[in-house]
Amino acid sequence: MDSLAARSGSRRDQRPLKKRLADASAPYLYSAPALILIVTVMLVPLVLGISYAFRDIQLLNPFSGGFIGLDHFKTLSQDQNFYRALKNTLWWTGWSVLLQFIFGLILALLLDKPFYGRAIVQALVFLPWAVPSFLAGLNWAWLFNPVVGPIPHWLFALGLMSEPSNILSDPHLSMWGPIIANVWWGIPFFAITLLAALQAIPRDLYEAASIDGAGPVQRFLSITLPFLAPTIAITVLLRTVWISNFADLIIVMTNGGPADRSQIVASYIFTQAFKRLDFGYASAIALVLLVLLITYSMLIVILRQWLLSKD
Amino acid sequence: MASIDISNIRKSYGIHPVLHGIDLEIKDGEFVVLVGPSGCGKSTLLRMIAGLEAVTDGEIRIAGKRVNDLAPKDRDIAMVFQSYALYPHMSVAKNMSYSLRLRKTAKEKIASVVASAAGKLGLDPLMERRPKALSGGQRQRVAMGRAIVREPKAFLFDEPLSNLDARLREQMRAEIKKLHQDLGATSIYVTHDQIEAMTLADRIVAMHGGIIQQVGSPLELYDNPANLFVAGFIGSPGMNFFEGRYMASGETANFALTGGMALPLGGTANLADGSRATLGIRPEHVALGAEGLDVLKATVDLVEPTGFGIIVHLKLGPVAFKAFTLDRRFLGMHGEVNVRLPVGNLHFFDEAGRKV
Repeated sequence: MDSLAARSGSRRDQRPLKKRLADASAPYLYSAPALILIVTVMLVPLVLGISYAFRDIQLLNPFSGGFIGLDHFKTLSQDQNFYRALKNTLWWTGWSVLLQFIFGLILALLLDKPFYGRAIVQALVFLPWAVPSFLAGLNWAWLFNPVVGPIPHWLFALGLMSEPSNILSDPHLSMWGPIIANVWWGIPFFAITLLAALQAIPRDLYEAASIDGAGPVQRFLSITLPFLAPTIAITVLLRTVWISNFADLIIVMTNGGPADRSQIVASYIFTQAFKRLDFGYASAIALVLLVLLITYSMLIVILRQWLLSKD
Repeated sequence: MASIDISNIRKSYGIHPVLHGIDLEIKDGEFVVLVGPSGCGKSTLLRMIAGLEAVTDGEIRIAGKRVNDLAPKDRDIAMVFQSYALYPHMSVAKNMSYSLRLRKTAKEKIASVVASAAGKLGLDPLMERRPKALSGGQRQRVAMGRAIVREPKAFLFDEPLSNLDARLREQMRAEIKKLHQDLGATSIYVTHDQIEAMTLADRIVAMHGGIIQQVGSPLELYDNPANLFVAGFIGSPGMNFFEGRYMASGETANFALTGGMALPLGGTANLADGSRATLGIRPEHVALGAEGLDVLKATVDLVEPTGFGIIVHLKLGPVAFKAFTLDRRFLGMHGEVNVRLPVGNLHFFDEAGRKV
């Protein structure tokens, strides 16, 4: 019986073992290069980075590296600097995104109207986006510096400042320096994307509305805004995640100072990792930031789904 | 309701003139159709009346009031666009009531006006839908509903049926005409389709090259076209033209076709002897299978049955022309056929293309 079954089994598949193995593994072999590449490039660093958060890794201490569980998170929960950085991140992200959006929208609306030399103006307006962020940071740091820059003297002349001082070294104002630089740098992003969306709105809708009796404000509210809404949602989401992770300008302009007053979470991570050389603690903070941003993104996605389903 | 007076309107884009002095008086309650080929300036003229294009020179009056410098919303007109231009994020009801809401009309009044317009146009079951959930014909109705709720001084239509298929176009054409009969509102309708112009208009304004070619009732334009352009544009299949020379001889005259043949005219026309001219005749006036001394021998080129009638493509020497007949005997026609061009139905145009 057994031998019969075995014989009938072998009759079902008479290919040699090698061939059968090769056939079975073919799909995996074909996709292996891409999968290996993705795993090594994306997953390994991610997992390694997350694992740092649970280990004691200090570059200057050769005996560090052991697993310490949630110790970093316990320290973090009592770290006043972290909470201030968290608050600063909200402040920094909120104002940067809001101002970039408002000015970007105004710019896009202006550039949507045809005028002589529009092509050149468009190119010029989008120039800040092409400036490397470190260069932009340095430039603005010098502009705010009363020794070499004009801005403090202008503010003094306007009576907005009692003396031409550097706002970057003022604990109450230092956050505004990088925010202003960031707004200058990021306006083109909103202007470009919103302009593209604006130009996709059919002109005859505006004509129909103007015949229906809508003035400029009503046309903006009842045609432009509804058409821009999806673009606004997606760009604001993108920029929020982007800016809250964006430490370049702060590192270059204030280095988080004075006295950590302009530190955001991203720059705090940078400081912990590369100034204090505590990679473990920096990774723990980064993990918290990651969780916060994922939560935020999920909320936005859910909000978007809800809005779409309402239609 | 109001009259619209257009006097000596000109329009240029930069140095390019598109309208060369248009004069037109549209009476209260009249349905006027501006017709012409693409680029003749008909849409530009309509958009100037609506206030969507600036007036370069001249004057537009609505109900006697100069509106050149008034914004579109202050002219009290309504417009139906080719693309319908419905607000995509608003329901049908919201689309129709938008203008009334902007004017802060009372809610009850809006509801009743919109409901009555929806009833007239058969839109009742669609009021809560968005435009994207509607068919082309339904969108067109919503666009008209949006126009009529306001009871404006005049309706402007900019090729409103061009995006519809042939069957629906025919149906909507009838609905527009019926709507005009019911409302009696002054209407200006732009189209490049001469059938729409013929069927809808109280008066047709035929335009070409930024100039009015002829103004008149549909049948006036059909029976008595002022020039070659109008003669060729109005009517389908189009009028036949023969180029040649008018040769007078006493009481009668001949028309010597370019190519050698001569048509005996049996009478005279108001043309100088020997002058170049164009002779025109509508396909339905070409008498096929005629007998007598004044018949011509033409060759049948092609026979096109339309169901309703038959279009016969003929050749007179090298000159091609068409005949239209309801007689089905001509369906299987080939070879030579006797043709008569009845003198009473001939149109003569001088060298400049003017009717004589």
